[in-house]
Amino acid sequence: MTVFKASLRNFFAHKGRMALSAVAVLLSVAFVCGTLVFTDTMNTTFDKLFAATSADVTVSAKKSKDRDSRQETDKPPTVPASALSKARSAEGAKSAEGVVSSEKVTVVDEDDKNVGSSTGAPTIAGNWTVGDRRTMEITSGRAPRGPADVMVDADTAKKRKLELGDELRTITVTGDFTAKISGIATFQVTNPGAAIVYFDTETAQRKLLGATGAYTGLAVSADSGVTHGLLKKNVKASLGADTYTYQTQKEAADSSRDQIGSFLDVMKYALLGFAGIALLVGIFLIVNTFSMLVAQRTREIGLMRAIGSSRRQVNRSVLIEALLLGVAGSVLGVGAGVGLAIGLMELMGYLGMNLSTSELTIAWTTPVAGLVLGILVTMLAAYLPARRAGRVSPMAALRDAGTPADGKAGALRGVLGVLLCGGGGAGLYAATKAEKAAEGSVWLGVGVVLTLIGFIVVGPLLAGGLVRVLSVVTLRPFGRVGRLAERNALRNPRRTGATAAALMIGLALVASLSVVGSSMVASATKELDRSVGADFIIQSGNGQPITRTVEKKLKASKNLETVTSYKIVNARITAPGGKPDGAQLTATDPSYMRDLRRETKSGDLDAAYDRDSMSVGDAYAKKNDVKVGDTLKVAFGSGRTAKLTVAAVTSDDSSVDKGSMYTDIATARRYLPAGQVPPNTIMFGSAKDGQEDAAYTALKKEMKPYPQYQVRDQADFKQTLQDQVGQMLNMVYGLLALAIIVAVLGVVNTLALSVVERTREIGLMRAIGLSRRQLRRMIRLESVVIALFGAMLGLGLGMCWGAAAQKLLALEGLKILEIPWPTIGSVFIGSALVGLVAALVPAFRAGRMNVLNAIATE
Amino acid sequence: MTTAVANPRSGGSGARSAVAAAARQLVKSYGSGETRVTALDHVDVEIARGAFTAIMGPSGSGKSTLMHCLAGLDSATEGRIWVGEQEITGLKDKKLTRLRRDRIGFIFQAFNLLPTLDALENITLPMDIAGRKPDKEWLERVIKTVGLSDRLKHRPSELSGGQQQRVAVARALAARPEIIFGDEPTGNLDSRAGAEMLGFLRRSVDELGQTVVMVTHDPVAAAYADRVLYLADGRIVDEMNRPTAEAVLDKMLRLAANTPHTAGELGANGSRP
Repeated sequence: MTVFKASLRNFFAHKGRMALSAVAVLLSVAFVCGTLVFTDTMNTTFDKLFAATSADVTVSAKKSKDRDSRQETDKPPTVPASALSKARSAEGAKSAEGVVSSEKVTVVDEDDKNVGSSTGAPTIAGNWTVGDRRTMEITSGRAPRGPADVMVDADTAKKRKLELGDELRTITVTGDFTAKISGIATFQVTNPGAAIVYFDTETAQRKLLGATGAYTGLAVSADSGVTHGLLKKNVKASLGADTYTYQTQKEAADSSRDQIGSFLDVMKYALLGFAGIALLVGIFLIVNTFSMLVAQRTREIGLMRAIGSSRRQVNRSVLIEALLLGVAGSVLGVGAGVGLAIGLMELMGYLGMNLSTSELTIAWTTPVAGLVLGILVTMLAAYLPARRAGRVSPMAALRDAGTPADGKAGALRGVLGVLLCGGGGAGLYAATKAEKAAEGSVWLGVGVVLTLIGFIVVGPLLAGGLVRVLSVVTLRPFGRVGRLAERNALRNPRRTGATAAALMIGLALVASLSVVGSSMVASATKELDRSVGADFIIQSGNGQPITRTVEKKLKASKNLETVTSYKIVNARITAPGGKPDGAQLTATDPSYMRDLRRETKSGDLDAAYDRDSMSVGDAYAKKNDVKVGDTLKVAFGSGRTAKLTVAAVTSDDSSVDKGSMYTDIATARRYLPAGQVPPNTIMFGSAKDGQEDAAYTALKKEMKPYPQYQVRDQADFKQTLQDQVGQMLNMVYGLLALAIIVAVLGVVNTLALSVVERTREIGLMRAIGLSRRQLRRMIRLESVVIALFGAMLGLGLGMCWGAAAQKLLALEGLKILEIPWPTIGSVFIGSALVGLVAALVPAFRAGRMNVLNAIATE
Repeated sequence: MTTAVANPRSGGSGARSAVAAAARQLVKSYGSGETRVTALDHVDVEIARGAFTAIMGPSGSGKSTLMHCLAGLDSATEGRIWVGEQEITGLKDKKLTRLRRDRIGFIFQAFNLLPTLDALENITLPMDIAGRKPDKEWLERVIKTVGLSDRLKHRPSELSGGQQQRVAVARALAARPEIIFGDEPTGNLDSRAGAEMLGFLRRSVDELGQTVVMVTHDPVAAAYADRVLYLADGRIVDEMNRPTAEAVLDKMLRLAANTPHTAGELGANGSRP
């Protein structure tokens, strides 16, 4: 009990010194809890949405089990109207109605602006049904009644400033059509972001499916007292068990949620990963805090031991302090986490994603996870310092006060560190030499983890050399004050090492990702230069394939000399005497050969576009022992089986269309039923020589009514690529910022505690004439050199990781290693600034110290 | 200050007055109202240039406070203080720091040296801080005088207590300050090392013309001085010129008898070797 009391007193006596450690625990725990609350809330929102929008029993077209032969066409699969009357008469069915719904649409306003979501949520067009009335209420105007009416959801109307009477143009497979807004309907549950437009049933059928008399699904409601399961059984019995897919409300909601759930899970684990990194960094801060508190309390602990405390008691008293710190930090962290989640939801609101705080979901596991994690990590981090405290000899009480003995980095540390780094280096090397990506990534992972631990272990030993080198450049110009700062940074290598290691972790990740990112851009740019001959690339930005209307428009364009269609056709391909291998054909116009330059290993790619001919990739040819002139059996999904002659074997040395098997669209058309020819996923165009610029301007203008399709020339395309990689990197940097902030807190913490520890020294220096300014500068310089040391380790390590990753990814086409020196350089300089900022408060406090207190003899 | 550097024997800022430091009606008190404690009570004092002055008194008599005020480490509550010709009362921290750096040397009882610097670096520290080059000849002479020539590259932790204090003396002398203040400089030393240390201070006064002010409660130490000032209850109660250890002890015992509430403590201090 007395041990506990002493710990409690110590904890509160040093609460200022504990504050930054508590903040580190708080931040990490808040990130973890915030992530959990946020993703749980999103799950709740989607659950409610899907539960509310699913009918008691849903009937939809049968999904083929055989994924290979399922052909994506431009029209959704349908259920005939005849099924609807059968469903109505099924036993236990109160009512049934046909639902028409498609996500392959784009809706634009009068200025040709896409009214759909910008966050990746779909645009859904459908018929206004009884089922919809359960979840939506018409808040102004009326339901759509004819081909000239359209109703839009209130969130979209508000976001895009749409009013009754405004014209909306809907771009569908069947063409474009314009309708006036007749009504605005408001969701009664939270709709996270999909844009929804409604038509009357006949218009929806004509425009979205191209024919009346069919639906994309049937919604059947149960009589009271009839369970969904029973109703499903009855409907199934009356429509035929194998004809359609049947789902109860729960099944439909679950399957919808599974689709989005996997995305949410990826997001959740990615965010938790970043929280984990911050927590890891926080460990260093806590270890340092307790090490320094124990060191400062050496005499006190010695006295306790001298008057009879056991090692265990001393040890335990430190751990109890850690427990208090962990509890305080975690409890605050859980609270902050909920706040963070709410903040994230607000932020999402700005970005166009609606989440309601009324659906804020805090599972009981969230605070438990936060508390357990925070407390466990704190205790774990305090374990080593606590053990060291237990080892303090009773003699320490009798020794002179003054600065505690400097921790010397030991030989064991050196051996262990070198072994780890060596092992990690070997892992990285193995990754660069790997022949298969999967095997290589295991080596890469091993290499990264081992080198990281190795650097952490060996860091204090490197501190001596590297800090001196850095000091020559950065500190020496400041004369004696600089040299004092250098000596201070060197006097306890373990402390400097741990402080710098915390910064190192975040910066190593930044450096490695920036290397991979810029290598990605450089490799792709080079590949584009090498292989792409087309002047323009037309691609969909929202997943809607290129509609026939737009395809025709492009083909008819006077600005373009050649226009190439590009379709992916599902097919099972069988080599002579072999098993089916290969599930896709790339059907294009012959002009594609000029749009994308491919090297051939043998044969002539031109001939692959002859009637009933094709080409195969090198790897396929080797694997199946296929040569030019062989005939392959190609079973087109939902079509006939053809015998195509191999006319060329293309080289696989390309990251674009790697391993693709080409054939002419005309060939594919002959074996596919008329309605089963897939739409273009991408198109290419070229202008006459010398007219590229004019053609580009004209083409952009031509495509203006179709904002979902982007027209890019090669320069644009490269820029887009670079922007995408840049955006992704910025997001990751943003998330890593948390770890870096914790690391900076660590620098502040180390400096603040060092200043306290050096009170007498500071007093002496002030007495013999060191000015406040010089004193502050000394502390700032120490901070800068620690930060630069951490940055040097981190950037060096990160660049090695990045280079190893690039060598590994060379298998996937990442052929060029590009070190982004401007980024690396600015991170390095930025670290120096971070060091300056970290020293602000400790330097200020040191300057304010009373000289007399500092030099007062005991 | 240039003259101070050029002419070590006189020290000082060119002024040739016989007074190195002075205080008039100096009051230093802490707290306010009923809890107000007066450490110095209207003290008038002059420190003679080129002389060795000892300030004696029991614990709590204000002797350390007097030294701190004269040295620009602490500020006066009332009264005026001069170092040489310059009045330092009311100076801002920046100017006080420069004053201490350029014109004053310190020797504390313990913890005189920076652990990260070796002996030589500690000695030249005040000049390094000021960005001045030390006078090599002078430096060598000081180091030789205190007998540290073979210990210059040692860190403080590798030096004995006596050696550490000698480094502190060398540091105080090396910058050729106008006044060196010692705060119980022999307090942590055994009698042999203490005597050696006091010998250095004495010689610096006799041979180099240095001004030295030392706070002590050891009559033996005080006997090295030219003049001893006695403080009790924040006032200068007596002084003695050309003291001997016996005379100092004798006087202290008599003073203790006159101020009963400090008698016991004084007796204990006085009986120290």
